[in-house]
Amino acid sequence: MEAPLGNRAVAGDAAPVGPARDRSPRTFDLLDAFPQPPLQAQVVFAHLRIARGLGGVMMAIRALVAVSGKVMLGGSVEQLLLELRKTLLSVTESGARCHPSRSVTAVRTRRKGRSANGCANLVIADDMEGAGVSYAIEATGLERAFKGGIRAVAGVDLHVAKGEIFGFLGPNGAGKSTTVRILTTLLRPTGGTATVAGHDVVREASAVRRRIGVALQDAAIDPFMTGRELLHLQAVLHGISRHDGRSRAQALLEQLELTGAAERRVGTYSGGMRRRLDLALSLVHEPVVLFLDEPTTGLDPHSRLTVWNEVRRLNRELGTTVFLTTQYLEEADQLAGRIAIIDLGRIVAQGTPAELKASVGEPALSVTLADPGQRASAEGVLARLGVALPGSSRTVAIRMPDGAAGLAPVVRALDEAGIAVAKLDLSEPSLDDVFLAKTGRSLHAEDEDDAAA
Amino acid sequence: MSVMLRQTGALAWRSVVTTLRIPQAWFPSLFFPLALLAIFTASFSNAPGRVPGFPQVRGFLDFAVAGSVLQGVLIAGTGAGAAFAADMETGFFDRLVASPVSRWAILIGRLGASVAQGVVQGLLFLGIAVAFGARIEGGLTGLLVLALYAALLAAAIGGLGVILALRTGSGEAVQGTFPLFFVLLFFSSAFFPRETMTGWYKAVADANPISYVVEGMRSQVIDGGDARTTLVGLALALGFAVLSVGISSIVYRRRLATKGA
Repeated sequence: MEAPLGNRAVAGDAAPVGPARDRSPRTFDLLDAFPQPPLQAQVVFAHLRIARGLGGVMMAIRALVAVSGKVMLGGSVEQLLLELRKTLLSVTESGARCHPSRSVTAVRTRRKGRSANGCANLVIADDMEGAGVSYAIEATGLERAFKGGIRAVAGVDLHVAKGEIFGFLGPNGAGKSTTVRILTTLLRPTGGTATVAGHDVVREASAVRRRIGVALQDAAIDPFMTGRELLHLQAVLHGISRHDGRSRAQALLEQLELTGAAERRVGTYSGGMRRRLDLALSLVHEPVVLFLDEPTTGLDPHSRLTVWNEVRRLNRELGTTVFLTTQYLEEADQLAGRIAIIDLGRIVAQGTPAELKASVGEPALSVTLADPGQRASAEGVLARLGVALPGSSRTVAIRMPDGAAGLAPVVRALDEAGIAVAKLDLSEPSLDDVFLAKTGRSLHAEDEDDAAA
Repeated sequence: MSVMLRQTGALAWRSVVTTLRIPQAWFPSLFFPLALLAIFTASFSNAPGRVPGFPQVRGFLDFAVAGSVLQGVLIAGTGAGAAFAADMETGFFDRLVASPVSRWAILIGRLGASVAQGVVQGLLFLGIAVAFGARIEGGLTGLLVLALYAALLAAAIGGLGVILALRTGSGEAVQGTFPLFFVLLFFSSAFFPRETMTGWYKAVADANPISYVVEGMRSQVIDGGDARTTLVGLALALGFAVLSVGISSIVYRRRLATKGA
């Protein structure tokens, strides 16, 4: 059922319509009208995405543009871009019916100095500009000083690409939450600038708020409301219509396995359920960028896995950019494509987990022999496969730059040489080693302090 | 605009629903004024007509019910402030502010719920008093005027609660101010006519604006709404509401500005 990444059909409609599973009749009308070649039904169901503008369309292979429910253009994304540039003005002027604009459109249109009559077509034009935004999150020299001169964030630079899962790792009090509060417009920076989804977090705060989903650490959920009520409320806060809000809530409850608890007050939820609801609430409006502040702190392994899977699914299927803070090395390692480590308000390291680990040392393989008498021949075999490291009477060790990926040839070679192995030990530098190397402290120790507190 | 109205409505609705679901939030504002009313009415049923200076009323219940309405509004208003503070403490406020909801919808939604509670509760008290033999001389007009009073006072006290919530950030601090309001109520003509007071007590009650507000309300019940008394009370209630809601919106805006939201 899962089509490979990128094999998606995207309908670029000016009006925000619910996802395909909402079975919105309008979506299906659009599909019927889709020009040649027709979409394959499976692909459509698996990956249909309705986007407001080209920002959401860019990752698709094919797309169609509809204005007021009428399909105007269809084809590959590149083709569409070309066509749109040629025909945009004529489409607008040809008197295609225009809906009164939503505020997104109006703001952008005004800035570009066009007439603000808010034709749906202009949304498309506007988002062409949006498509030029290459980073989902960009921060330069970000600072936040509190009273008394304490700089919780002291010059943070961040570049998070669209569609990335970015891990923000650091001990308690390192400045993680303060950074997230700035990026989510909850706190003004005292220095530096930041844009999220292409909009400045200070000057265009409301544009940022429309595009982000936020699940903050101290799960801020009203315990006297039911899960469904809170989802409906959240939909209203995002200006989603009553009908769409309801179907969206139902879909999210199903996705996050909360259907059974939907009519119960949140006060009766377990920690894991609460966190899942928190995640659902932050997804009501299909955010472009999702901020998760320590989403699994204090969760049981099962709930942690559910949250992880949902984050991966969002990222894979909807292309949602995820900015995730965590104190757990494992979480960053498991989920994040790239990681920044923050300590005392400064970024001390940034890169993919593999890059970071490689920066502090290479993985090493140590082979424990069943028969110490075979040591010499084992050394001979392994010397061909990697740089030797000091071993012991029963063990032979080599560097293994590729990590686990390099194991198979070693096993094969040892087997062919008839060498009996008692134990294989692949030791890779952990993110904790990285943290230790960059800050001189162990992140793990902080974890324990935290648990004791 | 319609979006903001919808958001305000949804937030007010949420405030009402959560208040209803927390018995501690509505029970005191119903129980204490009614209990006090019952005790006073039982104890002082002979006061009208016997105590020199007591106004001409059908019974003590008719005299005292206006004070109870005011008292209920007072408790409900402080509750609204405390709930606002609780939203800030739990971080629910952050969730609201991180969404593209109109900043004003958050404040107006909360105050709107306080007004709704004040009016419904006031009408309930009056209904109970009538069931126990009181008569509202002002009739339907009197009732509407009383509802208006309750609405203005609920907005005023709610606004005050919000100011306290924004300044202290603590629901307990807001609740802690309640006894202060209560003292102000006792040093007014809420429960006894000023005509029966003497000395410094009378001086304080004469200077206490609450006296004139409660007399304006009482007038609807006991003499069908004397124009002057009604208008003076309404003007005071309106002034109080405008001042309190105005200041609360300034404090609110300042907090959003420094916080960045």
